[in-house]
Amino acid sequence: MATKKKRTPNSKNSSWVAITAESAIDTDKDGDPAFLTLRNPTTDAASLYLFSSGDLQPYEVKAFTEDCHSWLIGQTVQRDGRLLYITPMDPLYLMLPYLVKAAKEGKFQPLDQVVMDEEFPACSRLLSCARSLSSVHLVAEEKEVGGRKFHRYSQEKTMQWLSKKVDRTVTALKRSNISVGEGVKSRTYVRVKTESDTNDEDYLRYAHGLVSEYIDEDLSKALRKHLQLPEPTSPKETEPPTKKRKLSELPVEAGEDFSKFNSSDFARKPPKKMTLAQKTLAKVDKSGMKTMSAFFSPKVKAERK
Amino acid sequence: MSCNSSVTHVQLSTLGKAERTTVHLMPCEIEHNGPAQVSQYFSATTKDRKQDKTVSFRGRGLQGAELSCPQGYTGLVLKEVNPNSSDQEDRTVKVSSMFDKLTYWNLETPPNSDDMVVMAMDWPELAEAIHGAVED
Amino acid sequence: MDLGDFEADNSVSCRLTSEIPDICKSEDCCLGIDEAGRGPVLGPMVYGICFCPVSRKEQLKDLKVADSKTLTEAERENLFQNISNAKDFVGWALQILSPNTISTSMLQRSKYNLNALSHDAAIGLVQFALDSGVQLKEVFVDTVGPAEKYEEKLSQRFPGLEVTVRPKADSLFPIVSAASICAKVARDHAVKGWSFREDLGEVDTDWGSGYPGDPKTKAWLLKYQDPVFGYPQFVRFSWSTAKNLMDSKGAAVYWDDDEEDGEKAAARQKNTSMLSFCHRPTGTTAQGAAHQSHRFFTERRLQGLGAL
Repeated sequence: MATKKKRTPNSKNSSWVAITAESAIDTDKDGDPAFLTLRNPTTDAASLYLFSSGDLQPYEVKAFTEDCHSWLIGQTVQRDGRLLYITPMDPLYLMLPYLVKAAKEGKFQPLDQVVMDEEFPACSRLLSCARSLSSVHLVAEEKEVGGRKFHRYSQEKTMQWLSKKVDRTVTALKRSNISVGEGVKSRTYVRVKTESDTNDEDYLRYAHGLVSEYIDEDLSKALRKHLQLPEPTSPKETEPPTKKRKLSELPVEAGEDFSKFNSSDFARKPPKKMTLAQKTLAKVDKSGMKTMSAFFSPKVKAERK
Repeated sequence: MSCNSSVTHVQLSTLGKAERTTVHLMPCEIEHNGPAQVSQYFSATTKDRKQDKTVSFRGRGLQGAELSCPQGYTGLVLKEVNPNSSDQEDRTVKVSSMFDKLTYWNLETPPNSDDMVVMAMDWPELAEAIHGAVED
Repeated sequence: MDLGDFEADNSVSCRLTSEIPDICKSEDCCLGIDEAGRGPVLGPMVYGICFCPVSRKEQLKDLKVADSKTLTEAERENLFQNISNAKDFVGWALQILSPNTISTSMLQRSKYNLNALSHDAAIGLVQFALDSGVQLKEVFVDTVGPAEKYEEKLSQRFPGLEVTVRPKADSLFPIVSAASICAKVARDHAVKGWSFREDLGEVDTDWGSGYPGDPKTKAWLLKYQDPVFGYPQFVRFSWSTAKNLMDSKGAAVYWDDDEEDGEKAAARQKNTSMLSFCHRPTGTTAQGAAHQSHRFFTERRLQGLGAL
């Protein structure tokens, strides 16, 4: 038996593979696109966004991350196996927290006094996005005094705007093969999409969940009420089993005695790996909770209320 | 917080010089960053059957399939220009190569539509729905 | 011996067969099984069967077949010629297991060991003889692993046959010697005529015997080792010699089914905990702060990024 390998951490990346919206790398515009960090409207944590040339449009950066993956790129190896997705982002989602916060003062204000953040100075660049200025009236009332525009957050308008977002999302979901039903909870099951067991409420709930990725919890709740979606049912039903895929994937072509192994032997005594996984399961959850709660610091959120 | 104000610039001028390249997403982590004899060892022994591809890597059997970038999207490989400069400075990346399809490989399992990376390709279209402009 | 079929794709398993003599379809026959190239770290392993009517066993002795290991390569070629010339009553079939087949089988998620691989090859060849109409009665096998277990396995698999599994069967039973010669000749040819699929230019063929203990073989392995890809497919990656050289000189590679040590298990634990946490329904904690990604994202392993 060879000695056990020890995985060293991949300390600093200097290369990335990204699937990028072509509009983000439009060379007709002046200036270079830039990655910046802004306040995530849902978690308050620092999140990475890309602004296209001239700050025309913000883009969200997500990473497809699976353990034990690397890239072969041309005649090179890139150890980091993540695949980034750079997709257009509606700047209103990023501005909304600032508008909501300013609404506590109840008055009309110029946007450049609203969208300000010492912690994330780059947020002022949102105001350079053409889309921000042309669509802010969808979530705020507008007043023009002496050629200057003033805005005040409107919950009513915002709900209208968000419902339209949900509608668009429902339409896209119905067009796609994405299974939205509560019945299908885990990828370890075969995904079968039949019209009968996916109803409109499932689509609405799913779309609401997706849009809620970009708004804070209070808005998400208000939107749920606005959409007349019932409260989520008992936690048990929404919790999908977190099975590991690989155990169910034993290739069967191996021949002769494997059928025997798979059925009777397998049932009598589970293989070593499974026991190991089960053994670690209890500890697992607790440590996870700690990490997560430490990660998402609640302080800013409280301040906003 | 200094880290929140740092910016990474993308040198768009490098886009024109970026060459099309082949990219393979491997089902293992290779503890290496840098040159490798991909065409000599990997591409030369890859077998292309109708839809699926097979190859072996380090003596393990892989099955792969091609995946195209969604409409309106393109694959970029970004590389940091001065990876060892200090943390305070803004960083710069260049576009070192481009691709419009990638090949992903599974360890022994035939590729299918439930593979994670295939499902992840749903994202851009859905993102367009969530982030596209709504009418008044 | 024509290895064209194997050479067309030397990364897979390939079967080569002689014509089936008519007499073997009408008279009770005996069949011998042996292998060649089990030990080497290079090249294929070959399984061979040879069969003839029980009534012609004596005539088989006249072909002067004997344990192939005591013969030179040239002598084996001659004896294979004798066997070919006796095609009116002697038939043969071979299963060539490419080194790539051996590597990928032995390193499979559900490990498929060399004994099982050998047994399956042997069983496949006996079945081939039966399917071709050979009137099999007796089967003689050179041992692979414990003789009794193997004998029991073959007897169960082929109830009508009288199976004898013996160590050194190739020197005891001429029909096994004949099978041994066929297998060894095929292995010699396959190794000698190996066409490298890798783009390596002119390859040095001075690899010695191919056995792990041979210094020439080891030197060759080092010369053709690639830090990322390992070796050409001519090498059995599953052999400890090849593995150890890779572990010491190559880039480390991690698979999701690697045996876990404490550290990795801990890392995985953390990872799983993140996921299982994310799958939990939105709980309203005192601060109402913790956010979990929607299942669309967790199911697709998509995460936001804090920094590049």
